[in-house]
Amino acid sequence: MRLQFDRGTIVLTDPPKGLDLAEAPGVLWDPRVRAHRAPASKYPALKLWLHQRGAGFQDIRAPTPPVQELWSDVDLRPYQDAALAAWELGHRRGVVALPTGSGKTRLALAAMQRTRLSALCLVPTRVLLDQWLREIGALYRGPVGCYGDGVRRWAPLTIATYESAYRHMDQLGDRFDLVIVDEVHHFGCGLRDEALEMTIAQARLGLTATPSRDAAVRARLTELMGPTVFELTVADLAGGFLASFDAITLYVDLAPDERATYAGLAAVFNAALADFRRTAPDGSWAEFNRCSVRTAEGRRALAAWRQMRRLLAFTCAKRRALASLLDRHRDSRVLVFTADNETAYAIAREHLVMPLTCDIGRSERDNALERFHRGDLRTLVSARVLNEGLDVPDADVAVVVGGALGEREHVQRVGRLLRPGEGKRAVVYELVTRNTIEVGQARRRRQGLVVRRSAQL
Amino acid sequence: MSADLLSYSVAGTLVVPHYLGEHDHPWLQVLLEEHERFIGRPQRDLEARLRDPLPCDSPPRKLRLAIKVLGRLRPHNRKSVVPPRQTRAHVFGAAARTSGPPPAVWTAVATSLGVSVEDLQGSLFADLPGERIVAEPVQPLSTVELALRCNLALVQEMLFRATVVSVEVEGNARVLVRHAKWRGLICGVAERPGRTSATVELSGPFALFRNTRLYGRALGELVPLLAWCPRFRLQAECIFHGRRLTLQLGAGDPIFPARAPRRYDSLLEERFAREFRRFAPAWDVIREPEPIAAAGTLIFPDFALRHRFDPTRRWLLEIVGFWTPDYVARKLALYRSAGLSNLILCIDEQRNCAEADLPPGARVLRYRRRVDAAAVLRAIETTTCAR
Repeated sequence: MRLQFDRGTIVLTDPPKGLDLAEAPGVLWDPRVRAHRAPASKYPALKLWLHQRGAGFQDIRAPTPPVQELWSDVDLRPYQDAALAAWELGHRRGVVALPTGSGKTRLALAAMQRTRLSALCLVPTRVLLDQWLREIGALYRGPVGCYGDGVRRWAPLTIATYESAYRHMDQLGDRFDLVIVDEVHHFGCGLRDEALEMTIAQARLGLTATPSRDAAVRARLTELMGPTVFELTVADLAGGFLASFDAITLYVDLAPDERATYAGLAAVFNAALADFRRTAPDGSWAEFNRCSVRTAEGRRALAAWRQMRRLLAFTCAKRRALASLLDRHRDSRVLVFTADNETAYAIAREHLVMPLTCDIGRSERDNALERFHRGDLRTLVSARVLNEGLDVPDADVAVVVGGALGEREHVQRVGRLLRPGEGKRAVVYELVTRNTIEVGQARRRRQGLVVRRSAQL
Repeated sequence: MSADLLSYSVAGTLVVPHYLGEHDHPWLQVLLEEHERFIGRPQRDLEARLRDPLPCDSPPRKLRLAIKVLGRLRPHNRKSVVPPRQTRAHVFGAAARTSGPPPAVWTAVATSLGVSVEDLQGSLFADLPGERIVAEPVQPLSTVELALRCNLALVQEMLFRATVVSVEVEGNARVLVRHAKWRGLICGVAERPGRTSATVELSGPFALFRNTRLYGRALGELVPLLAWCPRFRLQAECIFHGRRLTLQLGAGDPIFPARAPRRYDSLLEERFAREFRRFAPAWDVIREPEPIAAAGTLIFPDFALRHRFDPTRRWLLEIVGFWTPDYVARKLALYRSAGLSNLILCIDEQRNCAEADLPPGARVLRYRRRVDAAAVLRAIETTTCAR
């Protein structure tokens, strides 16, 4: 019998008589090619099943390991060591949840170095792709592969964006023994999950600062990566391995003309929402959207919703408050977070501060971060680029002018400030407009910090 | 492309695309005129304008789709006196160094660069998508073409949700098979008894386990190619909001065609056809003759050579060129099982095929770099054809 990796699956040909492959884990008969086939992720279980039955087979070629001598030692903090030990105890499968700034990438590097396995690291964005390449390059002297940002280069240690992994896993799936997924909470909800099913890697390590609370997502993630094996929160590390911080909410008002516009838009939107609630009391936002696009009234309501958000993104009062905060903290390193790129550019124009958005090229972005680190730039403004994973040096003040993605985004944003420093105490300002939808949104996004913190205390 | 750009209805298990047609031409014309009005202005102005409704009735989903398609077709220019990146480095750096108000920073930087403040301000974000300048179209675009292009985008986007596609096709099936192989799809081809058409079934390896959209893009790319098949009927199993629905397309649907597929797979084939026509004026060279059933699938010989005055003298010719050893082995196995007696195999000397691997009864000509048309002519002139 022969096992062959075929574009993200394992094809089994010429089985010995008497061996019923239909009972093997994950195996189905594929009438298209007249052979048995299993998802590549079932490969370890399938091999075990065949060994238990004493069935001989020609195996697929083992992945090429990296050269161990080219690794430098990777030192870990005590909690990182504990996390790695927990993962090892979990048979090298599982998710480690650690706050932003606590060194998840370093933990991943230690996992690669200590297991000596060929490894594929998946990261959500091109910005993080560069960052991981730099970090691995600092500790591993051999070539490092890269899939993403127009590059397709394989090596026993390879970094890939989620998108590239999804597209190329049919070719990469049999080349690695270990898969590491940064910001693993993006998986488990169906989108791109196949990327993790199309690889034979038995060892799997997921990293996140914001593990999902949805039971279905957690169950799916457990199936794909393994269970959560170690978890610490901001509260566990703040004041020690992470900087302490103050969270300050500044409530601002709408100007009279803004209020009038807002009231008009809210009336249109609320009427449609109330109608929807009457027919579907437990209907979700997605259902409301689907329902609304079918009628002219619904479409007007959605347009009103978008206009409300645009209006609230950068009101006159927020403008004034931001100007005052930037003035007050002119000697600090400040990050300004907005709900959208348009607002980021508006702030950049008004206060002459560097925007970091998806439209700004990679080398310019790196250059800006380097200048921020040196102190040549004191303020950066961003909608989403700074949200997740990116290593922002030395920021100590954040101003959240607006947000679009809720609790998870907020936790990640706060995490940008928590890199420890001697005597450092970070400040997070949130600008919230009174008597608008922002009040509820701000309350919900803060829950991510409050609930998790109180659960630990 | 997001789902709210797709205009369709569901009838039972069928999903029916709402094509743009003649009845949409009036508002498409207005949309094109709006675009014309914004030539020379920033893209963001055009986008802001198009957020509001057109001054005539226009179906919202179709309008959004048309805006998207038009956006892809229209070129943009950049307009900046100082390179934008350089402007940002100077302006934001100067602002961080000084505690002066922004106007003072603008003036100082503009003076140091020898440009006006207005030019400097215009250059700051000139490279961003919204700041790019809407340009004249490369070619004038008619409402008919825009509608057809929208329809192509619509069905492609619907096929991006496909898990399995089946196409009953008359003629030019080769173009589909070639695409399937190139995109790593599993392609089953079967002849229909008593009919001239073939059925091509396309899906990805992983589709065996799940209704996956992993292969949607590869399947969607088939649509423009189908326009070059004289007749086709496509049936696709698609997932819409978790529901499995069937999409049907057929020849005559108003879809913009892709560029004509290349007539030859390689320069080698093209050169052979040209030289053979010159050497053998009494023979017709038929590119991509009808497929031949073999081992439950179809094989597509590269050429048929038919004597102009005696059609019973007909040869099939296959050029086995640049492929992997595994591919060559599979191809030869198929030809062996077909048991053809009128086959000429032209094999690249570098392939190192053993005689035992070759199909019995086939005439074999080995070539290096070019297929010798004169040698092929000699081979068919001196042999009696059995089929």
